[in-house]
Amino acid sequence: MTRKAAITILGSPEEIKKRWGEAGYRPDYIDSADAGVTFKPAPGDRGTEIHVDLDKTAPGGKLGEMAMKLSGREPLAKVKDDLRRFKARVETGGIPRSEGSPEGELAERKLKQRPAQPLEKSELEKVGV
Amino acid sequence: MRANVWNGRNSVEVENVPDPTILNDRDAIVKISSTAICGSDLHLYDGYIPTMKKGDILGHEFMGEVVEKGKGVANLDIGDRVVVPFPIACGDCWACKHELYSVCENTNPNAGMAEKVFGHSSAGIFGYSHLTGGYAGGQAEYARVPFADVGPIKIEEDFSDEQVLFLSDIFPTGYFGADLCDIQGGETIAVFGAGPVGQFAIASAVLMGAERVIAIDQYDYRLQMALNKAGATDIVDFSKDPDIVEQLKELTGGRGPDAVIDAVGMEAAHGHGALHAAERVKQATRSESDRGHALRDAILACRPGGIVSVIGVYGGLLDKFPSGAFMNKGLQLRAGQCHVQKYLKPLYDHIRNGDIDPSFVVTHRMELGRAPDGFETFKHKQDECVKVVLKP
Repeated sequence: MTRKAAITILGSPEEIKKRWGEAGYRPDYIDSADAGVTFKPAPGDRGTEIHVDLDKTAPGGKLGEMAMKLSGREPLAKVKDDLRRFKARVETGGIPRSEGSPEGELAERKLKQRPAQPLEKSELEKVGV
Repeated sequence: MRANVWNGRNSVEVENVPDPTILNDRDAIVKISSTAICGSDLHLYDGYIPTMKKGDILGHEFMGEVVEKGKGVANLDIGDRVVVPFPIACGDCWACKHELYSVCENTNPNAGMAEKVFGHSSAGIFGYSHLTGGYAGGQAEYARVPFADVGPIKIEEDFSDEQVLFLSDIFPTGYFGADLCDIQGGETIAVFGAGPVGQFAIASAVLMGAERVIAIDQYDYRLQMALNKAGATDIVDFSKDPDIVEQLKELTGGRGPDAVIDAVGMEAAHGHGALHAAERVKQATRSESDRGHALRDAILACRPGGIVSVIGVYGGLLDKFPSGAFMNKGLQLRAGQCHVQKYLKPLYDHIRNGDIDPSFVVTHRMELGRAPDGFETFKHKQDECVKVVLKP
């Protein structure tokens, strides 16, 4: 099974790469996983493609250790979450939140959605809003 | 606040829920003055759209007054009267920049879920299952409106709620269906379904210069509205004769309509007893999610080289797609949830110019608390129901 994920973001590869490294934008999970990340210009006016390959490591990454930690399907879902959140931050300035998924895109939330109705105060604190 | 929530198949209930709060800088809170039940809400009510959860607030057609806004919303002021489009769009992604708002790339926080079902995610939609984001809907006293700097249109003239409310969905959706037909003037357009969206598809085809517009339905009172209010020139009542394709050919000198709009979707009814019964069973046992009589007949009836425009909602998979007719007749199949944000201003201008008064579809007005009655009346077409407006 492929352990790759990709997303396309509006903006030049230079801009997108710069954002990738900035605090407040840098995707935590992909960062901690030392995954191989490449940036390519997309055709036409489509922006920049980001490709993440979990079977490659970033320069200087600890391959053996990470390969153990990253076995199974879960890591890919988390990588995809990271990519979508990064895209939303870059393009819209924040992470879209719904009442059912108040944390924004989150793999763990997929199976236990809360009802699509406003949150109580205590819940708001829990999800960090 | 009070809100109409989904309670399981064929059950909605008006409950007390927490008031909405701002979750993002680009959110606004709207105090709702009018909200409507959409035909597509019936697909949720009937249990055919997956990923509904008990307690979900329904409703994606609403308007009201801005009572609170995040610091990213510069275009609206507290007190503004606004109509809110049903798709939630960021305005920043490639799709939004190309006016493809209903396939916004950022507004569905359950994009991963949608990708599993549809291959890709589409935009978030208010009150329309968790597959389209899990956003609380507008059949309530208040709603949080994300990306309020992109979606809502300000209503500054003195129109009644009912004259502008349908800018939220069904007027643009009907118009979009007609727009997909590339009407240049002089065409014959057939519209499957004379429900609220079908009525606006008919009226829009007339506005665009179609010469003949044929309404197809099984309820005479809806066909009469199509003739007398929306501007249809001909009707086909398939409760009297189930062979829609032959009747359309007969009405068009054998050619078939230049374009056909499917304003029915996944719960099509049909006069062909045996096929309908078989599909009904498959859908009930969940071995087929979409009943497709309208789409099949649209493809069979459309003239060679014509366009089939699909604005009725489908949710999954369909059997017996007439691929032979589709391919050999050289048809174009076009579809989508309406890119409402693209049409808001031009359609508001049509209302201001007096070209159309969208309130003609309203047949029932109820207090929000009677939403459960509204759903039953609308679903079973009781009391000649076409459109229900709820007042919180």
